[in-house]
Amino acid sequence: MNKLVRFFCATTGPAGSALVAVAASALLASASFASTAIVGATVHTLNEEAPVENATILVDKGRILAVGKDLDIPAGFEKVDATGKVVTPGFIDSFTQLGLLEIDLEGSTVDTRVTTHSLDGGGLLEPYPLGPGFDVSYALNPDSTLLPVNRRDGITRAVVAPLAGNDPLAGWGALIRLTDDNILIQPKLAQFGYISAESANFTGGSRSALVQRLHGGLTAALEYRPGRYQQTPGGYTPEDLAALQRFIKSGAPLVITVHRANEIRQAVTLARDFDIPLVIHGGAEAWKVADLLAAEQVPVVVDVLNNLPISYEQLGARLDNATLLHEAGVQVLFTSGDNHNVRLLRQVAGNAVAEGMPWNAALAAITNLPAQTFGLGEGAGTLTRGAPADLVIWSGDPLELTNWAERVMIDGEWQSMESRQTRLYERYRSMAGDKPYGYR
Amino acid sequence: MLPPRNAGRSLAVSLTLLMSLCQTVASQAAEATPPATVPKAGQPYGSTYAPLASAPVLITGATLLTGTGERLENTPVLVAEGRIQAIGAEAQSADVRIIDATGMWLTPGIIDVHSHLGDYPAPSIDSTSDGNEMTSPNTAAVWAEHSVWPQDPQFPLALAGGVTTMQILPGSANLFGGRGVTLKNVPARTVQAMKFPGAPQSLKMACGENPKRVYGSRNQAPSTRMGNIAGFREAWIKASAYRDKRAAAIEAGNADGSNKDKPAPPDRDLALDTLAGVLDGDILVHNHCYRADEMAWMIDIAREFGYKITAFHHAVEAYKIADVLADEGICSALWADWWGSKLEMFDTVTQNVALVEQAGACSIVHSDSARGIQRLNQEAAKAMAAGRRVGMSIDEADAIGWITSNAAQALGIHGETGSIEVGKAGDLVLWDRNPFSVYARAQQVYIDGYLYYDRSDPQRQPLTDFDLGQTARGRAL
Repeated sequence: MNKLVRFFCATTGPAGSALVAVAASALLASASFASTAIVGATVHTLNEEAPVENATILVDKGRILAVGKDLDIPAGFEKVDATGKVVTPGFIDSFTQLGLLEIDLEGSTVDTRVTTHSLDGGGLLEPYPLGPGFDVSYALNPDSTLLPVNRRDGITRAVVAPLAGNDPLAGWGALIRLTDDNILIQPKLAQFGYISAESANFTGGSRSALVQRLHGGLTAALEYRPGRYQQTPGGYTPEDLAALQRFIKSGAPLVITVHRANEIRQAVTLARDFDIPLVIHGGAEAWKVADLLAAEQVPVVVDVLNNLPISYEQLGARLDNATLLHEAGVQVLFTSGDNHNVRLLRQVAGNAVAEGMPWNAALAAITNLPAQTFGLGEGAGTLTRGAPADLVIWSGDPLELTNWAERVMIDGEWQSMESRQTRLYERYRSMAGDKPYGYR
Repeated sequence: MLPPRNAGRSLAVSLTLLMSLCQTVASQAAEATPPATVPKAGQPYGSTYAPLASAPVLITGATLLTGTGERLENTPVLVAEGRIQAIGAEAQSADVRIIDATGMWLTPGIIDVHSHLGDYPAPSIDSTSDGNEMTSPNTAAVWAEHSVWPQDPQFPLALAGGVTTMQILPGSANLFGGRGVTLKNVPARTVQAMKFPGAPQSLKMACGENPKRVYGSRNQAPSTRMGNIAGFREAWIKASAYRDKRAAAIEAGNADGSNKDKPAPPDRDLALDTLAGVLDGDILVHNHCYRADEMAWMIDIAREFGYKITAFHHAVEAYKIADVLADEGICSALWADWWGSKLEMFDTVTQNVALVEQAGACSIVHSDSARGIQRLNQEAAKAMAAGRRVGMSIDEADAIGWITSNAAQALGIHGETGSIEVGKAGDLVLWDRNPFSVYARAQQVYIDGYLYYDRSDPQRQPLTDFDLGQTARGRAL
């Protein structure tokens, strides 16, 4: 068990997180829990190596009650026949901006970062002094059309990360579920940082200066006392330092987006120096430092399909990065690297398998490993007794793109399989018809 | 442009044709002085590609997806002298290397009709960013081939994904982006040595948000969609006049303008050369266009000026006018599922490819991505599954056409490649399993019968100059 898991098992939640309580109570108030028995499917519980064939899954009060063969179905349970189907936990993407944007090029729909770069052609914005104190959770949009589109393809939860802003530390991310409302499950899930040539533009153009700023900022945060702090030019605001201090004390993970092997080592050193649980995101060259990452128990969020030497920081990008990390003993998590198409997560996982990663490990990378890494609670990302009942009934092997999700359940409730895209399809699927298109 | 060829035409004829093409090209290359007259499109800068010599090979036991709608189980294919010589029972030869492909699948070489490899190479830096001449809304004068860097390390990655042919297009910032070029995915020192012999050039056009955003933000026309349309029409008016003047001079026997008493040819203009080439039918129009209503305007403009649109690219709303596209005989080059970065690409449906096909129009799956081009088979698989998910009857034999024969059709090279038929080029991909499986990998990739890629043999995996000595690339190669 790594540092992260130990922490989350030992605490009841991030310190002083009133928002968590608010979110949780809203969740409970809205739910009308159905009791469901899904029978006949091949079930990947993520608890055992082999799937349970012809299994029965009992769901009650939003949680998994039992999974096994020949279970008695209690009275009042709705029976769902899934014979010949495959059931997995709902899929979790470990790095998205779901809920924070609708149309990338329309700035009024984008809340992904604190930046001076206007996205809608308005030129440079006034610098706004908010770095690690930025919190994505206030702008999450439950009506985003991206949520139903991705949900109907099996995505049930996602880590929502701030993108790189005006500081190497970009702020707090959150965990959401892809339901129709009450999507915020856990704010202040993790702090997000960036070490790259692009982020170094905020520290005079040098990655060295960037790493120094991270060390300096965390040191200042440890020493920070409200009322006794004099802000220096270029230094963090009291608001950012308070947030950083809170972050360090919370034990929440620091997720650093970094590609070059050397800077991955720097991130590991930083996390070790401040005793912060570290997660690497991106990590195009992580395979080069796989042994270090394994020894330090640092999970890596990989976009498997990122194999292009697209920048000088990613010359070592390769298709079997995830496989090599897994073989070295590193915990590998996946991201789709997308927002409109988080649904590509299973394609990412399937390609990892094609490049030699064991199928079970690829499935774990989009279910129980992100749940463990981000402390989503006991059993999350698995189909075991007591786990939140997030599950998907698939037409077959879910990593095969020729299969699809037939039903999706989140927290024990069947979700609508409709999206804006299915509505458009229904309107135009036939060119014949009496009604004008606008009435279809 | 190659004349259409019957599938059954004999090898001798095919080879003769190919040889004559090579000779044409060679004689052009040898010309010391530029032509005095205004040349017709596509004449200068010919291909210097020549197929590499390859020993005959008999691939046995594979399941064939021919690209012509057929699936043939356990069917041998004989390739010799760069061409498919025989399929099925006739595919026998005593003196030939046999590849036992039992359990494997054989498809035509994959063709991407929309790529920027070489003109947006990796690493993506200012030094190599050569895909969009964003200095004027009409840059019909530029040719994408003049930007292509043959040492782009992305070419071998696409080869590993089974891509044998691709069209490299200029970007979409401009109404007229310039000429595109069709390349064979072979390692080469020059772009000319990659050019697909005889393939027609294309003109990249773009409607919608990109041109109006790029130029509107500079307070320059076009800043609106109506400005876009006016920009197209003004250019075609000039091109029509240019073409007419040129034709009159040629008809009067005064193509070089030496006779002052006869109609004079126009002053040479590179942009108008391109547009006149379209009006003459020598250059194929590939039109970046997302929205159904805008595609309808582009069809009207084509009708007004008498040219043909070969394909709409991206076309996320093609399904809304699939009947119109079928009537007009216009192909749609589509993504399986991309959407949302701009409002004009917000109405994607995953059934787009299947719906266009169902309407009887030509459907193509394209990449426009150095990532996507590596797995067009998976993109086609997703598009196929989306159709099946709503009950449409589509199988692998149909869907392979979206990334082979239909793509070849849109590039005007279907007489040469894009299907497994006797007489066609030996452009083939041998997959370790059904290529519509996410677990499938191309094991061998042949171009004109030569084995350019073998997954199990590092000696058959090309490296670009850029790759060499970059220790950071490590085992990635």
